[in-house]
Amino acid sequence: MDTFVTETVSILTNTAMLFVVSAGLTLVFGALRLINMAHGSLFMIGALIAASLASALGGAWGFSVAVLAATAGAAALGAGVEVSLLRRLHQREPLAQLLATFALVLVFADLAQRVWGSSDRSVTAPVAGRFHLAGATVPEYNLIVIGIAGLVALGLWLLLACTATGWRVRAAVEDPESLAVGGTNLPLLRTSVFALGAALAGLAGAAIAPLESVGPGLDTQIIVAAFIVTVAGGLGSVLGAALGALVIATVESLGTLWVPAYASSAPYLVMILVLAVRPWGLFGIPER
Amino acid sequence: MTVLDETHSTPAPALAVLGRAVRRGTLIRAASVLVVLAVLAAAPYVVNVTVVFTLEEIAAFSVFAVATNLLVGQAGLVSFGQGVFFGLGAYTVTLGWEHAHWSFWTGFALAPVLGAAAAVPVGLVALRARTLYFALISLAFSQLCYQLVEQNTGFTGGANGVFAAVVPTWMENPVNGYLTLLGIAVAALAVLRWIYASNFGMLLRASRENRARVQALGTSVYRLHLLAFTISGAFCALAGAMLVIYNQGSNAELFDWTTSGQAVITSVIGGMYTFLGPVVGAFVYQFGHDNLVRYVPDWQLVLGAVLLLAVLARPDGLAGAVRLHRRQAGNTSDAELNSAAEGPGATSE
Repeated sequence: MDTFVTETVSILTNTAMLFVVSAGLTLVFGALRLINMAHGSLFMIGALIAASLASALGGAWGFSVAVLAATAGAAALGAGVEVSLLRRLHQREPLAQLLATFALVLVFADLAQRVWGSSDRSVTAPVAGRFHLAGATVPEYNLIVIGIAGLVALGLWLLLACTATGWRVRAAVEDPESLAVGGTNLPLLRTSVFALGAALAGLAGAAIAPLESVGPGLDTQIIVAAFIVTVAGGLGSVLGAALGALVIATVESLGTLWVPAYASSAPYLVMILVLAVRPWGLFGIPER
Repeated sequence: MTVLDETHSTPAPALAVLGRAVRRGTLIRAASVLVVLAVLAAAPYVVNVTVVFTLEEIAAFSVFAVATNLLVGQAGLVSFGQGVFFGLGAYTVTLGWEHAHWSFWTGFALAPVLGAAAAVPVGLVALRARTLYFALISLAFSQLCYQLVEQNTGFTGGANGVFAAVVPTWMENPVNGYLTLLGIAVAALAVLRWIYASNFGMLLRASRENRARVQALGTSVYRLHLLAFTISGAFCALAGAMLVIYNQGSNAELFDWTTSGQAVITSVIGGMYTFLGPVVGAFVYQFGHDNLVRYVPDWQLVLGAVLLLAVLARPDGLAGAVRLHRRQAGNTSDAELNSAAEGPGATSE
C-alpha cells in the first residue's frame, strides 16, 4: 500500500510538471501553428531565474517571489522573441519556423551558460513538511506542484472555453482573415499567446527547481519529454497534453519499477505506438 | 530536340557536341569539379595534420548531410532522425568487429545494407505522419535509439561507446585515411547526384511542391517517400561507417537528435535546394567549429546566430546566394531553368 501511495504521488507530480510545460507548447501550436523548440530553453531559464532568486531571497516568500519572477521573465523573453523574430517568419513554411526556434535553442544554451555558469544548482523547497498517508511519507511540496498544475488546467480551460479571447485564439488558426476583419489585433493576439506559452514554461521550470538539479542540459532534456507528451496527446489540444502527460509519467514510473533498463526508452515507444495508430495524436486534428 | 540540333548545326557532330557543351557550361562545370577534386586530393601533402583530420570529418559529414538533404531539401521531409542510421552505420562496423569478429571492410559493406533495412520499418511508421509530426516522430526514433544504445552497456559500451583498433593499420595514417574517405565520399556523392537528377529526384521535388498533384497523377507519395527514406538511410549509414575511420570508434552521441539536427543545420546553411549546398555547409560547419572552438567558448551561440541569419535572410543558403549572384551577372537561361527545377516555388503563402 505504501509503495502504491508513493508511486501515485510521484506519478502525479511528474504528470503535473509535464502537463504545465506541454500545455504551453501545445497552446502556442494551437494558435500559431508553430512548434517552439526553444520552449525547453525557456523552461531552463525559468528554473535558473527561480534558483538564483530563491537562494538570494530565502524563505517561502522569497521562493514565491522567485517563481513569479521566473514566470514573468520567461513571458517577457518569449514576447521579445515573438516580436523580434518569429513574427517575420509567420508567413513562411513550417520548416523555417522550426529551424529558427532550433537556432534559439543553441543561442539560449550558451547565453544561459554565460549568465549562470555551467555547474548544477539545487534549490531548497519552500515547505519542508511531510505527512503520512497509508504508511507512506509524502513531501508537502509535491502537493503544491500538483496544485499549481490543477490551477493552470482550470485557468486554461476557463480562458479557452469561456472567454471571447479564448474563442479568438482558436479562430486564429481556422480563419485569421475573418478574425482580422472583425477587428481583432492578430499580431497582438499571437504575441500574447506566445508569451503565455513561455510563461507556462517558466512557471514549470521554477516549480520543478526544488525537485531536480538545475543546470545546463535541462533544456534539451525537457523539450524532448514535452514533444513526446504533446505529439502523443495531439498537437494543439490542452486535454491531449494532460492525458499525454499522465500516460508518459505513468509509463516512466512503472518502467523504472519493473524494467529499469528500458525505463528511459519506454516513453518513446509509447509515442511511436500512438502515432503508428493515430498519426495526429490522441486528441489532435488530422492535417489537411 | 537534341537529334534535330545535331543534324542542323554543323557537319562535324563531335565538334558540335563539344561546342554546345562549352556554351552550356557543362565543360566548365566538369573542369571545375576536376580542379576541386585535384586540390582536395593534393591537400593532405600541403596542409598540417589537424586540417587533414578536419577534412576526414568533412568527408563523412558531407555524405551524411547530402543524404539527409535528399529528404529535407528535395522531398520536403524535415527529418530530425537521420542520426539513427548514422549511428547504426558506425556501430555496425565497431560492434561487428567486437562481437562477431568481422573485418573492418565487412562491417563497412554491411552498414548501408543494414541502414536501408532499418529505414524501411522506421519509414513505414514515421511517414504516416506529415510535416511537423514527421519531424517530431523522427526525433523520437533518434532519442529511442540513443536511450537503447546508452542503456545496453554490456552490448554497446553505453555512453562511452566502442573505441578499439577497428580500422586497418595502414589507414591510421591520416593521409591514407583521408584519401580513402575522399574516394568513398566522391563515389557516394556521384551516386546521390545521379539519384537527384533522375526522374525519381524530379518526382521528389514535385511532391515537395504539390503533394496532392503528384498523388493525383498516379504516384503513391507514401511509397515514393518510403523509397527516399530508405535510400537516405543507406547513405546515412555509409556516412556513419565512414566516420569510424576518423573517430577510430563509435559513441552513443551519434544517435542523439542533436546529431540529426546537425545534418539539417548543415544543409540549411549550405543551401538545401542545391545538390552541393550541404557539402558547402559541411565545410563551413566543420572548419568554423574547429577554428572557433579554440578562440570563442560560445560556439553554439555563433552557430545559432548563423542559422538564424540563414533562415531569415537566405532560405536557400550559401549555395543559393552564389547561384543568385551568378544569375544576376547575366548567366545563360540554363542556370535559371536549373534553379526553377530545384529551388522552392513561391514560399508557401
